[in-house]
Amino acid sequence: MTDEKPDVGRLVDEAAKAIGLPIAAEYRANVILNVERSLMIARPLLEVELDEELTPGTVFRP
Amino acid sequence: MSDPQTADPLSKAATATEIAAAVMTGKTRAAAVVDATLKRIAAAEPAINAFTDILADRARKRAAEIDAGLHRGPMLGVPFAVKNLFDIAGLPTRAGSKINLDGPAATRDGALVRKLEAAGAILVGGLNMGEYAYDFTGENAHYGPSRNPRDTTRMSGGSSGGSGAAVAAGEVPLALGSDTNGSIRVPSSLCGLFGLKPTYGRLSRAGSFPFVDAFDHLGPIARSTADLALSFDAMQGWDPDDPVCTDRPADPTLPRLIEGIDGLRIAIAGDYFARGGEPEAFEAVATVAKALGATKTVVLPQAAAARAAAYVITAIEGAELHLPRLRTRPQDFDPDTRERFMAGALLPGSWYVKAQRFRRHYRTNVLKIFDEADIVLAPATPCTAPKLGQTMMKLGGVELPVRANLGLFTQPISFIGLPVVVAPLQRPGALPIGVQIIAKPYNEQAALRVAAFLEKQGVAAAPPA
Repeated sequence: MTDEKPDVGRLVDEAAKAIGLPIAAEYRANVILNVERSLMIARPLLEVELDEELTPGTVFRP
Repeated sequence: MSDPQTADPLSKAATATEIAAAVMTGKTRAAAVVDATLKRIAAAEPAINAFTDILADRARKRAAEIDAGLHRGPMLGVPFAVKNLFDIAGLPTRAGSKINLDGPAATRDGALVRKLEAAGAILVGGLNMGEYAYDFTGENAHYGPSRNPRDTTRMSGGSSGGSGAAVAAGEVPLALGSDTNGSIRVPSSLCGLFGLKPTYGRLSRAGSFPFVDAFDHLGPIARSTADLALSFDAMQGWDPDDPVCTDRPADPTLPRLIEGIDGLRIAIAGDYFARGGEPEAFEAVATVAKALGATKTVVLPQAAAARAAAYVITAIEGAELHLPRLRTRPQDFDPDTRERFMAGALLPGSWYVKAQRFRRHYRTNVLKIFDEADIVLAPATPCTAPKLGQTMMKLGGVELPVRANLGLFTQPISFIGLPVVVAPLQRPGALPIGVQIIAKPYNEQAALRVAAFLEKQGVAAAPPA
């Protein structure tokens, strides 16, 4: 994890272009806000170190 | 548990168990139950707004068939309603959206609706919900908010907001909801009701509109533990139409409610689950723990990371599901879901895979706790019902967005599919709040027994508002 603050506005613009998702000007600020919020909420997960042999839980039986 | 001999089966206080007993013994007719239910719905709806579809003709027809002796079952004559993401034959499946109204009508009822009707129950309507279930508030820009019957200026909680509101208002004794990150447990807590989120895969999701396949669960909300058990037992069973539905044999829970809590080791979740909420959330857990004689504290390791991982998987899976609609009809989304879905579509795939790898890691560690405890207690919500329209709230002295944080304590549990019963505490002069009773996978009966014990002791209760 780097502490350098990302340019979320640019990330939103470029990623939206890459996946073909038009984002109207009136929605853009809120999309940026929500990506910023996601960066904050995801942080505890991104800081966890996992063993390489750990497989994803996508096939999941509780 | 309620005494089936004492309640008027036509009153709003009647539970499903009481109504079924009255219809089965001929004390009342199903037609009278349906008429009384429809009258209550008509009277309550202007204030509550729980229903989006009222199925008067269908319900009356079914009741007439029951009164003619054409149907039998343990839920005979019990009126119920379902969150409008359940398929209802002849109606488009709204899932809280405006967009889905343009889709085809469902050709048959969802699997759980069919199971409840096969047990003798009567579907009376579809219920309001947060758009596409991406919601903890019960608000909806298209259909208006479901209002909390305990205080109609406040949120019902979501996304099964109509389910919570309809049961708390006494419109129906039983409703079905869905719970991906807390959408049964949050409205159960805020509306002061019993709710059951079963083990992931325990109940079929066939014939319901999905949100996040990795976490989607369906389950009941009711005003008694017996009603949760009665309906849960009727809905159990393998269904080939849901690829994650378990093929384990059904495990009836209703007969076991009388066993009480003898032999159950009950612990309190500490650390993450003991901070970041308002005092009433932790006081509720302390009250329940005292009633149960629970003193031991356990720690669910890395719960904050689990909540983060649940958030990431939800954001990315939910966004991918709706991407075609986000491209073509963004103006038709609820503004409160649209930009969150759009943001989810832009998050890195590596986050998703890491969240899924962490999920396996977390499951392994949390299941170890059940070697030393059968039940773990935790707050259901970090606070009581916020005001309708409220966007920010203070939790533990920190100002946080309401939408993202009402599920703080529910997300780390559904993330690994553990079964949970919410037990509601009614607080004189104050709003209710719920406690999560968490068990190991497939051990719903233990959680239901604990809730039934609390109900019998008068610690937990869910009278209609």
